[in-house]
Amino acid sequence: MTASPDMPVIHVVDDEAPFRRSLLFLLESVGWQAVGHESAEAFLAVAPAFPAAGGCIVLDIRMPRVSGLELQRRLQAAGSSFPVIFMTGHGDVELAVQAMKDGALDFLQKPFKDQLFLDAVERAVQVSLERHASQRRQGEAQDILARLSAREREVARLLALGLANKEVARLLGISDNTVHVHRQHVMEKTATGSAADLARLILRADPRGLD
Amino acid sequence: MKSLFRFLVAPLLMALFALAAWSAEPPRQVRIGVLAWQGAEEAQVRWSALMDQLEDKLPGRDLVLRHFDLDGMAAALQAGELDFVVTNPGHYVFLEAGSGVSRIATLIADASTDPAHVVGSAVVVLDERRDIRALADLKGRTLAAVSQDAFGGYQVAWAELRRIGLNPEQGQPQPVFTDFPMSRVVEAVLNGDADAGVLRACLLERLEQDGTLRPGQLRVLSPRADVRHCRVSAPLYPGWAFAAAPGTPPALSRDVLVALLSLSPDAAGQSWSVPADYHPVHELLQDLQIGPYAFLRETAWPSLWERYWPWVSGLVLMLLAWGAYTLHVEHLVQRRTGELTAAMDAGQRLEAQLREGQQQMDHLSRLSILGELSGTLAHELNQPLAAIGNYARSLLRRQDSGTLAPAALRQAAEEIASESERAAGILGGIRAFARKRDRVREAHDPASLVREAGRLFAGMLPGVPAVAVHQNAETAGPKVWVDPLQVQQVLLNLFKNAWDAQQAAGCDAPIEVSLGRDGERCALEVRDHGPGLPPDERERLFEAFFTTKPDGLGLGLSICKTIVEAHGGDITVTAAEPGPGLVFRFTLPLADEAPADSRENS
Repeated sequence: MTASPDMPVIHVVDDEAPFRRSLLFLLESVGWQAVGHESAEAFLAVAPAFPAAGGCIVLDIRMPRVSGLELQRRLQAAGSSFPVIFMTGHGDVELAVQAMKDGALDFLQKPFKDQLFLDAVERAVQVSLERHASQRRQGEAQDILARLSAREREVARLLALGLANKEVARLLGISDNTVHVHRQHVMEKTATGSAADLARLILRADPRGLD
Repeated sequence: MKSLFRFLVAPLLMALFALAAWSAEPPRQVRIGVLAWQGAEEAQVRWSALMDQLEDKLPGRDLVLRHFDLDGMAAALQAGELDFVVTNPGHYVFLEAGSGVSRIATLIADASTDPAHVVGSAVVVLDERRDIRALADLKGRTLAAVSQDAFGGYQVAWAELRRIGLNPEQGQPQPVFTDFPMSRVVEAVLNGDADAGVLRACLLERLEQDGTLRPGQLRVLSPRADVRHCRVSAPLYPGWAFAAAPGTPPALSRDVLVALLSLSPDAAGQSWSVPADYHPVHELLQDLQIGPYAFLRETAWPSLWERYWPWVSGLVLMLLAWGAYTLHVEHLVQRRTGELTAAMDAGQRLEAQLREGQQQMDHLSRLSILGELSGTLAHELNQPLAAIGNYARSLLRRQDSGTLAPAALRQAAEEIASESERAAGILGGIRAFARKRDRVREAHDPASLVREAGRLFAGMLPGVPAVAVHQNAETAGPKVWVDPLQVQQVLLNLFKNAWDAQQAAGCDAPIEVSLGRDGERCALEVRDHGPGLPPDERERLFEAFFTTKPDGLGLGLSICKTIVEAHGGDITVTAAEPGPGLVFRFTLPLADEAPADSRENS
């Protein structure tokens, strides 16, 4: 199946072929676009890009060679924004707990009800979209802030923290007049009208930007 | 004068007596009777050379040659007038039976002749008689021969004619006896008085050689391919016999024999050889009912009774006794059979009980293994069941939303079918493993059995260590004669134990299985890398209900022992070298020495 870019893609990674195919069939029944992979290595070899429309990975926790947990670690290290749903077998509860600690979105113990599975997928796709949207907003904010000069970024941060022009001038060891000019440029370049707007922009670009 | 007579005569008489006494020890006279079948004159000519030679070889003996006809020789023997006789094979056999003579030498034609194949018959016809091609064509013809008593000259041919279904006694062919010499037979054939004639073997060749007959003038009927030196129509029989009379001293017989064997061949190339077996002559005479077997022609009951009544009475008595004995034995056998059947029934019942007990034990053991593995078996079953459920739910969803395409329906149905078959297969395997079953013995490759058990083991439990099989070229090849399921049960038990032991030691090295030979048996060793056991616990391992595991039943190894012993082997446990760990070793019978495929029902 060729993935169309404007639809979410669900990747199913399970070494048990008949079961994997049944999940794909189920997902397609409710209109999802789904792709199967027979092993963690096969998934990594394809290294599918995260689609703009969202998506998630359904991962069997117990597979030969590279396990599901190991694949999750490698994806995180590579900065992937795919949410992961783990499928676990009998007696694998400890592994499932570890997977959640490592950042998995959900886990399902086999055998599971189809509705439970589809709900989890739905949630994961939602999360992926949210993650994607927040990533996009962060990128835009970073782009805006990148237009400022180094001195202007310093002035903007202090203004966003709620400091008056005089306090900024004293902290930076410059005249009130100079601070006023910088403030004019910052407001123009970021198209913000207030210190509060400026603070929101900085936090969007970097959640820790005002620490 | 009277005294003078006494004076002179007495010493003379005494001298005569002394002379007589001297001459009696040893006897100087050796009396030899020969069969003069062509008249006394011919016999004198024929045998005088032999007598001269023998006399040379027997210094101090006086050889006396006498000629007899058939009956005369028997009478002379009866009167004790002969030390030795020389006669034809048929007559010899007659004398052997009637007068007790025993052969010491047989006359042979030349040095290369086998003494048992000397005398024979050639049935000849004029070569132009194209209407007579074989012996069988003689039916309704006339056959010339010298005499009914001639062995090579008639009886041998007679027997051969009987063998092919002709009977000269009933005129098929009609015999015409010409009397001796045998040249008369040749004349009768040549001038047409007879259609065919019987000549003794090699006479024809001699007549052709000395010019009496033109080569090819006479033709031999049904010539035998197995006789080379002369043309004959019948098998060859032993030659003339030189036989000792019953009263002849053995020392004399020996001296004469030595002399005969050391003679050089006579002018005709004939010489004496070790005595032949005259049994075929007996058979021939018996077949023809002549000579010693002439009585066979007396078929009248009174004469038979007169001859055989002691035998017949004895036989009747023996039959009666035998009948009584048989009845008695039959009675005994029936009684003993009854006792034996009862004993065997009891034995079989006991054996059946034992077998049933052992099968229950096997069964219990398999169930306990299944119990320990049930969690993972459930997982195995869950996979196909989950897949089936997914397809079924998906179909419902598509149906509800109106998006169910025929291709998708087909795909789902096929997957459901194949997954349900897979689930059934897993269940079938469990059932086969758990159910009670008959004893089976089949030929199997031991390495394949180990690998199969290894696969089962890997499939039953997650995270088990690998099973490594070591087998060298010497042990590869011979199969074992076993119940494959039982052997797998033993192996699974040992693998499970090995893994339990290794888990306790936190070790995931492969479980090692080595295949080897132990005399006429196959030896298998299962080695683990667990912590091992102290010797006193090792000794108790095979006892029922002994266990070192908190959740163990203590049945596994005792069942292993039972199974291995049912295969005629034993199972032992030793500390691994180098340790730690245990080595379980058991032996199985090789298939070569076992009978062909068999199934023993319980």
